[in-house]
Amino acid sequence: MKRWFYNPVLASSLKTRMRGWRTAAAVTAYLGVMLFIAYVFFKISFANEVMHYLSVSANRSVGLRVYMLLAVLQFALILLVTPAQTAGVISSEREMQTLDLLLCTKMSPFSIIIGKLLSSLAFILLLVISSIPLFSLVFLFGGIAPEDVAMLFLFYIITAFAVGSIGIFYSALFKRTVVSTVVSYVTIFFLGIVSIILGVYMMSLHYSQLPRPSDYYVPFVFYINPTIGLSDLLYRQAGVTAPNPYYGILALLFGVGWSSGSPQGWFQRLPLWVANSIVMSGIAVLLLCASAWIIKPYKRFRRRS
Amino acid sequence: MLVVRDLVKKYGDFLAVDHLNMEVERGQIFGFIGPNGAGKTTTMKIIATLLAPTSGQVVVDGIDVFKEPIKAREKIGYMPDFFGVYDNLKVMEYLNFYGSAYGIEYHKRRRIAEELLELVDLSDKRDAYVDTLSRGMKQRLCLARCLIHNPELLILDEPASGMDPRARAEIKAILKELKRMGKTILISSHILPEMAEICDNVGIIDRGKLVVQGSVEQIMQRMTGRTAVRIRVLRDMDRAISLLKEQPMVTGVIEEDQELEVACRGGDEDLWQLLRTLVSSDVPVVSFRKMEGNLEQIFMEVTSDEEVVL
Ligand SMILES: Nc1ncnc2c1ncn2[C@@H]1O[C@H](COP(=O)(O)OP(=O)(O)OP(=O)(O)O)[C@@H](O)[C@H]1O
Ligand SMILES: [Mg+2]
Repeated sequence: MKRWFYNPVLASSLKTRMRGWRTAAAVTAYLGVMLFIAYVFFKISFANEVMHYLSVSANRSVGLRVYMLLAVLQFALILLVTPAQTAGVISSEREMQTLDLLLCTKMSPFSIIIGKLLSSLAFILLLVISSIPLFSLVFLFGGIAPEDVAMLFLFYIITAFAVGSIGIFYSALFKRTVVSTVVSYVTIFFLGIVSIILGVYMMSLHYSQLPRPSDYYVPFVFYINPTIGLSDLLYRQAGVTAPNPYYGILALLFGVGWSSGSPQGWFQRLPLWVANSIVMSGIAVLLLCASAWIIKPYKRFRRRS
Repeated sequence: MLVVRDLVKKYGDFLAVDHLNMEVERGQIFGFIGPNGAGKTTTMKIIATLLAPTSGQVVVDGIDVFKEPIKAREKIGYMPDFFGVYDNLKVMEYLNFYGSAYGIEYHKRRRIAEELLELVDLSDKRDAYVDTLSRGMKQRLCLARCLIHNPELLILDEPASGMDPRARAEIKAILKELKRMGKTILISSHILPEMAEICDNVGIIDRGKLVVQGSVEQIMQRMTGRTAVRIRVLRDMDRAISLLKEQPMVTGVIEEDQELEVACRGGDEDLWQLLRTLVSSDVPVVSFRKMEGNLEQIFMEVTSDEEVVL
């Protein structure tokens, strides 16, 4: 039973990665920087708020803003660091020929891939988890509940998993680490930024049809964009009723308003960030399976001789 | 132990391994010799289940490698020609890691690792970081690694490349020890004289084809039916040369820094005749040495562009 959870690649790399002072120093430095940013931001906003309102709600709104700032910063960190951590993993194994040595063992290609993914995500997840106490400080101001933080961190983990899978997939697909790193970042750029413009364009096309449709329409690219998921989650937590900040861009760029139609079917009725998480996880699993297939020495549909 | 039948590997249109047949018996050391790009690594990777062949069959200890790769892997220890090591990993942890990847239980693999370090003479380095080891030590560690699951067949791709003579001698000693332990070893190299010394059989591969295979002496005879002798004379070098050239069994004489390398037909009987002729003609012979396993020469002949008629 224990063997199910035991992954030699993960076990070995956790042991060596966490050794020494480097990791501890990185965690400390990261928390220090985040705390500093939160403090400065808090100081500035609080001074302004108190001047304006002189009310109790100032506390609440400042806490919320610090929370959002930290949430976005940490999310950016995940998006930017994860590709670098994962995109070289399989290709460098291949360059060192240690991949062959692993494939010779009893480990299946899939468990090698999973072990490699988890061990390269270990560092970023450690940073994220160690920041939980920092986020908890926001509780002091009210406005944010422990469940909110839990959901945020769940979304972080899913995003790291999905972005990590992209990196792993490219590093299995491409021979050279440089290529796979570049392609990973291009993909993240596409998912995070280009897809918004594309999605908004798709919406404007959809709603400019005649006769004008009034259905609830979410372009598929919004489901694979983690930043859409995050903004949806944060807006919900802040109690803002507007659907999503990105729809503002829609109005700005194309002069199309958000449709008033209501969601159809169970999938559309899910909160956008949940649907987003589901789609991203599904894609991640597919990418991991594909990676395992790529590194496998004998392919299934091998020609019969 | 190892049977390879009609193995073919194509990269696109390029034929890297061309209908290769060979057989290695249990407990033998088989030397796999060929120039760069001959297809040694390709063949060894196929045997080690790391590369799918275009066609052909490989059987290791009765197991068809392509039908039951997982079962075959337990029998095979593979050492690639080039390998990197993970940094930040200590020698003992390195072996421990691969032991765990082979699913060996913790205490057992610790014990095996200790024994293997003893075998490759790295016991005092057990807590050193792998990337601080010298090249020779890394190579020995890698050898220990491919023994961790106690395989019966070892596939070693140029284990002595880039090592100084002393380190090579150490590897050779370990290989002999492994042979004594009953392992079957397939070893590739282009350092020829050494192969002759430790191998029971050799196969020469060129452009994907196994050109000859057999024991070192057999190949010598089958190839050219001639032996090489090195003769050193005290003086009268010119007279010795002219005398040698008159002999019917001599096919060639090369003068090489104060020594004569003489190629001659026939067996030991003819060599004795040759020596007697020299001595009875008062040529001051101080050394007369039959060249054992002069693979270098065979190698050059086999892999030259001319067809060799066996
Ligand atoms: N992945 C590949 N794609 C295309 N051609 C390849 C590939 N791998 C090897 N080859 C070709 O197959 C031939 C045999 O290569 P191989 O590595 O087996 O030679 P080798 O005998 O091991 O040579 P060396 O002594 O240099 O190690 C070479 O001509 C090489 O160019
Ligand atoms: Mg090679």
